[in-house]
Amino acid sequence: MTALELISLVSQALFVGLFVVVVWAAYRRPSRSHLNTVLLFGSIAAVVTLARLSGWLGLDGRVVTGVSLTLLSVAPLAMVRLVDDFSGTPRWVQWAGVAAFLAVSGLAFATFGTELVLVELALLAWFLPVGGFAALAFGRAASRARGITRMRMAAVTLGALSFIGAIVVLLLGALLNIEMLETAGQVGALVAVLSFFLGFAPPAWVRQAWREPDLRRFLQSSIHLTGMADERTAVVQLQGAVADAFGATGAAIGLSDSSRGLLRYPGSGTGWDEYPEDAYIGGRAFSQQRRVIALDAAGEDPANAEVYRQNAAQTVIAAPITSDDRRLGVLTVYASREPIFVEDDLWLLELLANQTAVLLDARALSADASALKSREDAAQLKEEFLSAAAHDLRTPLTIVLGQAELLERRLARDPAAPIDFVSVKRIAREARRLRDLVGELLDVQRLEQGATVVNRLATDLRGVVGAVQQRLLDQGLDLKVVQPDAAVISSVDRKRVEQVLDNLVENALKYTSGGDMPELHLRSVGDEAQLSVVDHGVGIPRDEREQIFERFYRASNVQSITDTGMGLGLFICRRIVEAHGGRIWAEPTPGGGSTFKVAIPAEATVSPPAGPAAASWPIGTEAAADV
Amino acid sequence: MSEVRVLIVDDEPDIRATVSAMLEIEGYDVEEAANGADALHAVEQRAPDLILLDMRMPVLDGWGFARELRRRGHVMPIVVMTAARDAARWAGEIAASSFVSKPFGYDDLITAVESARPAG
Repeated sequence: MTALELISLVSQALFVGLFVVVVWAAYRRPSRSHLNTVLLFGSIAAVVTLARLSGWLGLDGRVVTGVSLTLLSVAPLAMVRLVDDFSGTPRWVQWAGVAAFLAVSGLAFATFGTELVLVELALLAWFLPVGGFAALAFGRAASRARGITRMRMAAVTLGALSFIGAIVVLLLGALLNIEMLETAGQVGALVAVLSFFLGFAPPAWVRQAWREPDLRRFLQSSIHLTGMADERTAVVQLQGAVADAFGATGAAIGLSDSSRGLLRYPGSGTGWDEYPEDAYIGGRAFSQQRRVIALDAAGEDPANAEVYRQNAAQTVIAAPITSDDRRLGVLTVYASREPIFVEDDLWLLELLANQTAVLLDARALSADASALKSREDAAQLKEEFLSAAAHDLRTPLTIVLGQAELLERRLARDPAAPIDFVSVKRIAREARRLRDLVGELLDVQRLEQGATVVNRLATDLRGVVGAVQQRLLDQGLDLKVVQPDAAVISSVDRKRVEQVLDNLVENALKYTSGGDMPELHLRSVGDEAQLSVVDHGVGIPRDEREQIFERFYRASNVQSITDTGMGLGLFICRRIVEAHGGRIWAEPTPGGGSTFKVAIPAEATVSPPAGPAAASWPIGTEAAADV
Repeated sequence: MSEVRVLIVDDEPDIRATVSAMLEIEGYDVEEAANGADALHAVEQRAPDLILLDMRMPVLDGWGFARELRRRGHVMPIVVMTAARDAARWAGEIAASSFVSKPFGYDDLITAVESARPAG
């Protein structure tokens, strides 16, 4: 046996083997594309079998050749049909294919065994354009597909090219009697059948290698979702990763709400769409806990046919997402075309459903963990809070108690003794400090319950500023105020805003030595009212400008200043300002010191209304308009 | 017999004034310092018989003061007075003779000082 004969024998055996494999696949899952592969490889297998049999049985060569050529003319038709299955072809191409097939096989029958050259020429004319068309179409399908489908389509393309090439070369060789061409044709046929094997029936290890990148990409793009706080966003991104791994039109993940018998899908906007847990093909997969393949979704679920059409979901495949025996939900993938290699897609779907289950489980675990952590944090905060509160209350309490006991002793010894005014003043001062501390504590308590800002009324902030200024004046402190002539109206809880300003001014006084008075500015900036407390005191270290608004935080450069309070003042201010929809921040004052700025939403600057209303416009109290 | 001299170290002036007044009634000779550094200075000027020491103070805190005091060879007893819950532990840390927790009253203070006061 020559090498050429060996090659020929091997490739013929492989073609027959491939035929058996595709018949088996078509038997297990009958579909149009499976039947067309049976047609393609059936015709080739029949031709090579016939050639072998005729050699052994000594059949009439001309008859065998005639039958072979007729059978061979089926192959291009099968290819045209396969191309249609994979990527769609215009209808006229299909009809032209059928017409050409009928013409070629009719010619072969009509001239049965007599006009071989004519039939061979006709076959050549039939194979060349169809082969070229099919190879091109397979190539395009490959370039559009991804992952294993892409690799398989590439193999099919190579198979089609070498098959057509082999046939053409063999026919030319026979026509022109060139032996070289016969060798080339046999080699081409071997390449073709090997490529077809890889494309239509890849061995397990090849599939494994081809699937690996898909899986890796999915894991890479989805692993960070376990830590993502928002469940809906995480699920939407997971859907994207699934669709991407498939190269599908889209994917949907439904999460089970077993207590209500619902599946919820991320809807448009920010919410969830809820459906009964057996609705749609996904619901079918969920409630039956099995994979569902609907190549024609609209046909299989006619009740929702319109929905599938609107979403270009020709084919829907779905698999339940299950972890151990817990039904977490369902993964649905839809595509505008039938999948080329359904079994690969099903395999991938199942794998991604399992991965999704792992990710959802991980999310649930990390959510549990962070809930636990925040409970612990809250407990810790409470502990710190009580400890700090107790500590800060103890010093003034010591003074009040001690001074009161001293007075008590003195009076007990000599009821007529003059009252020690210094001692009484100390008691009063420390009692006030206690009152303020308790007030801070209660404020924080109230803030925690979210009920700080209650009485919001349209108010001229100039009145608020005036009240703060007046209070300081009563203490003999002349606060410099800069404010516009026109009213600055904002909807505020007046008492709370005064509290913020009092606190900021008090801080400014506390951290300024040398009697430099702070200034209080009010102005309108766009649709905001801006209040600034400017001091020329010790200032705030740059990297602490944010932290000072945190609970219990005391700037590092003022810890040595006595009576710094509990570190709650600015925290309370921030909460109040934020409850007004505003912002508070600290800036350095040019030339030294700090400027605290508060911006809260305000009405555009207005002049005090003219006419009768002006008389009843009490500057500094609530405007007539209730908010 | 000379009076027992007590040095009060606390950054809170009203605490110092209150404690001073109490100790003076009991016949102690009293001196004040606003922080650890001032207190060291005062000790060098004229060593007291007993020191009433706040722990959390600016400039030099109670721990730093006690360490430096002992390093310089002074052995007079220390009474810790603090608002922290860890008064007993802190007193142990600096080998104080006794402690008194804020808020304290007249009798609490005097008891703590008496118990730490050197014999004689």
